[in-house]
Amino acid sequence: MEHIILFAGPMGAGKTTAIRSLSETPVISTEAANTDLATADKATTTVAMDYGEIGVTDEEKVRLYGIPGQRRFDFMWRILRDRAEGMVLLVHNDHPDPVNAMREYLIEFADLCQRGGVAIGITRMDVRPGPILTDYTDVLERERPDLMVPVLPVDPRDRGNMEMLLMSLIANIEMRGSYGRVFA
Amino acid sequence: MTVMATRPAVALHKDPFVQDLATTALHDLTDRCPRVRYATVLTEDGFEVDGVPAYEDDRLSSMSSSMQALSEAVARELALGPARCLIVAADAGHIIQLRIPGQQLVLAAVFELDEPLAEALGSCRFAAERFAAALASR
Repeated sequence: MEHIILFAGPMGAGKTTAIRSLSETPVISTEAANTDLATADKATTTVAMDYGEIGVTDEEKVRLYGIPGQRRFDFMWRILRDRAEGMVLLVHNDHPDPVNAMREYLIEFADLCQRGGVAIGITRMDVRPGPILTDYTDVLERERPDLMVPVLPVDPRDRGNMEMLLMSLIANIEMRGSYGRVFA
Repeated sequence: MTVMATRPAVALHKDPFVQDLATTALHDLTDRCPRVRYATVLTEDGFEVDGVPAYEDDRLSSMSSSMQALSEAVARELALGPARCLIVAADAGHIIQLRIPGQQLVLAAVFELDEPLAEALGSCRFAAERFAAALASR
């Protein structure tokens, strides 16, 4: 049995790093050199997907797929989201408009959020002053009162942080009864 | 993948020198293969440098970027050495793409079905190698 979890969010949110922190197998990455540094000051960018795995039992594994953060690769979003059961949405707090970025991803992936589950990790909260957690949760409560969404501050480099977020997602999915227990 | 050591003054896909060479390479290709439906040079992160004929939808560049990265990842994971080219043989035509040797650039071309695959591949390689040599001369 396999479970597919998507890692989504804007470019620079830490999706590739998060999957590297969590995966028990070497991560397969499709990073390309970022040739437009004026737009985003980042050496590389994911152009297809990242892939990692977590074994739950001998016969059960969680597949972790990271999608590109840039909209011009949204065809990869559609390919991967149709198979996914849940989404970890990472948003970096020093994004120009992080709360709105969260909102846009929830709209883009509304179907997945509805049929599966979603957990939101806010990264880089310590980099510079920005929105606080309640700025995110207020928007969620106002715009999506039907969704119960865990929102946690996380460091994608920290495996413990990311496990906590993933477990929150699993609990979120189980609560909706989309499928049975993921972790035995 | 190659990574830039220093920040360039202008993005690669907007560099006039690179754009001129891309135009030349694409015309080299279409001169040799009249049954090219569409050809483009793109950066490895999916920005179109140039395309012939002019094509308004730049999604082919995005998709080619993803396919290039996936094909290189598969070759790497299976320890097959560098991926030389990617071929998609469909019912109504072929897609061939390959990295410009040593560069952060990819040449991708869509051919009519009646274009012999070997000739199409040879022409793409020829254009890519000439492009690489010209770029190295800067």
